[in-house]
Amino acid sequence: MKFLSRRRGRGPSWSMAAVIAAAGALVLSACTGVTYAETPLPAPPASSSSTPAPPATPVTCNNPTQSYDPLPSIPSSGDITDASVRRILDRGHLVVGVSADTFLFGARDAFTSRIEGFDIDLAKAVAKSLFGSESKLQLRVITAADRIPLLQKREVDMVARNMTMNCARWKDIAFSAEYYHSGQKLLVPRDPSGKVPNTRIEDLKGKKVCAPQGTSTLDKLRTVSGVEPVAAADHTGCLVLFQQGKADAITGDDIVLAGLAAQDPYTVVSSAPAITDEPYGLAFNKEDVYLTRYVNRLLADLKADGGWKAIYNRWLAGHLGPAPAPPAAVYGRGG
Amino acid sequence: MTSGPKTNLPVGSAAAPAGSPAPLPLPSITSGGPWAARSAGAPGSPAPSPAPATIRGSGQTLQSAFIGLFHGTPGRMRLLAILGVIAALLLGGAAANAILASEAAAERAANTTEQVVRMQSIQVDLLRADALATNAFLVGGLETADARAQYDAAMAAVARNIAAGAAAQPADAKALGTLAEKVQDYGALVEQARSNNRLGLPVGARYLTEASSSLRASAIPVVAEIVKANEARAQKEFDRSNSSIQLLAGVAALIVLVLIAVWLARRTHRYLNPSLAGGVLLLVVGLVVAATTIGNIGTTTAQVASGLYRDAVDLAHVRTAANDARANESLTLIARGSGQKYQDAWVANDKTVRGTLGQIDDASGLTSDWDAYAKAHEQIRAQDDGGQWEQAVELATTPEAGGSSAAFNAFDEQVTQRRDAASAAAIDQLGKLGGGSTVWAALIAIVSLIASWLIVRGIGQRIKEYR
Repeated sequence: MKFLSRRRGRGPSWSMAAVIAAAGALVLSACTGVTYAETPLPAPPASSSSTPAPPATPVTCNNPTQSYDPLPSIPSSGDITDASVRRILDRGHLVVGVSADTFLFGARDAFTSRIEGFDIDLAKAVAKSLFGSESKLQLRVITAADRIPLLQKREVDMVARNMTMNCARWKDIAFSAEYYHSGQKLLVPRDPSGKVPNTRIEDLKGKKVCAPQGTSTLDKLRTVSGVEPVAAADHTGCLVLFQQGKADAITGDDIVLAGLAAQDPYTVVSSAPAITDEPYGLAFNKEDVYLTRYVNRLLADLKADGGWKAIYNRWLAGHLGPAPAPPAAVYGRGG
Repeated sequence: MTSGPKTNLPVGSAAAPAGSPAPLPLPSITSGGPWAARSAGAPGSPAPSPAPATIRGSGQTLQSAFIGLFHGTPGRMRLLAILGVIAALLLGGAAANAILASEAAAERAANTTEQVVRMQSIQVDLLRADALATNAFLVGGLETADARAQYDAAMAAVARNIAAGAAAQPADAKALGTLAEKVQDYGALVEQARSNNRLGLPVGARYLTEASSSLRASAIPVVAEIVKANEARAQKEFDRSNSSIQLLAGVAALIVLVLIAVWLARRTHRYLNPSLAGGVLLLVVGLVVAATTIGNIGTTTAQVASGLYRDAVDLAHVRTAANDARANESLTLIARGSGQKYQDAWVANDKTVRGTLGQIDDASGLTSDWDAYAKAHEQIRAQDDGGQWEQAVELATTPEAGGSSAAFNAFDEQVTQRRDAASAAAIDQLGKLGGGSTVWAALIAIVSLIASWLIVRGIGQRIKEYR
């Protein structure tokens, strides 16, 4: 062979053998074992502390509870020509946005799965008045933050979800006359001595206080300096955070907090006076002035004929004592 | 062998340094003539530094002897004999090693497949547990004993598979540890939801949605990552199981041997050297046997990879999406009118199920089962959207025929059976690939030794004749 015979001397042959041997050794060692790279973990989700929306620029007015004049009397449904109400009547049922976890106002009964409460009874009254039957009612469970967008998109006809009437909201939606007067309070851990603490929100500097997203409560909370606001989807979400030790206190309307306290014997509503006035109204699309006037007539009738009192006693008397006089309606809003 | 060629080995007195202790390198021995003579002449004597001295000192005589040994045509023949032996051993080694590598890769493929199946089971069982928990929630605190037992069984299977998975694949251990943590969190939230539901407290609903969303946000991504990593590992092992590329070393060695034979024939003008030819022939046979064995392993694993294994993985994907859909159905109802995002997720799950079933052979039975469930689901949606929430819930929770539970369970059972059958068959086929091939590897190694002897014998004959 030419290429072999041409090579004189031993060097090249030896080195060729060495190369082959080394190559063989490499091949052999290449497959002695397989080690796998450690399974990676998914990147941690971007910290869920959803950057809270900047507090709404405060809108001031002197008539947050002023609603439209009620209709002179409840018309028979056949006589109604208003387009919005006509649409509801033609559909055959009223769609109302409600809460399913606000104890006493709108909460799902775990045993019957029915949603019940003060707000729900009002929704039933409206359905009964329009259709002659309480069952012509579709309850849609929504969060507090859903309330205004869903009304604006007309996905719900009415919101009965412990909603505070205020000037900023009047810009986007319409309210009925006030049907319940609440105030913002604090839910705090029960004192071992059994005494109800009179904790005020200013006393909670450096503490985490929870309020639901999209509520006037949260807006108010953000104005208190030194308190770390924690947002949850709803009040019950706040109770979960509280029970998990992720919140030190919960702020909300007194009656909502009473509902939470009823679910956790280790909590109590602070005896400090309410820090805000929270007038509750039923909410409507801004355009639905006729429907608002219709419901105002209905509310006025309920307040006059004892219907309001019956609903109050049914849900709240056990926790707050017998019904007081219903909140006075303020009418005369232009539009 | 790395420094071999250039070192003047003491060929003549090879026995001398063998028994002596390993030499300590001395800082400077420049001229070691007398030392060398002594150490070479007196083996085993406690000479201060025998080895370096030997190499340097006896260089003159040994080198000439060495040159003599490889000088001229017989010398070249000797060299070629050595080269031939190396080539034969290399061929045998490479072939045996390639077989063993293929076999080992097939075995690892079987193990990884098992791990893939295990991890997918965790994913499915978690979603199944969640589907059961959310569905039970729809009927208030009164979940059926059967639903409760199914939930417990799913969670128990998850716990077992996490432990088994961490033992089977150490690379997964850390991720599985994290998963175990998240699963524990999920279980705790579900228990809290359950006890609050029992007391009729609305906060129970919140705990349940927290549980569901934490499962999807933190546990499922971890297990999905583990499934992905193991699927990639299995694929790699399937590819590795065909290690015929290593046989190229054997082919190269064979070419060298043939070249030697040709050179020898030309030089000696004798065309047939029976021993050498026999050796080469033996090696050719060995190489062919190795190629066939590896080819078999490669073909079988490729078949499993594209057949049974693919089916098992696809069916697991189907089951995952199906159980997710079932949970989304309940979550849509729980959200009561605000569950559009869950219904959107259901539609996406439905698409996955149908798309994946389309890739599986002979899945028409499964598709019609899924159709039956999807029809029940549509009815539920129609009821709920029409304001008949309670009727919708009744349809979704009743264990009777006609509801979505019965239809879904029928589908889930079918898919599970098919998946279990496919994965068991895949693991079985891959596992069977071992055994026999090890014997072939050993035989080829022996053949290469015999061939080496034949080569030495064949060339040795020619050297004798040359004299």
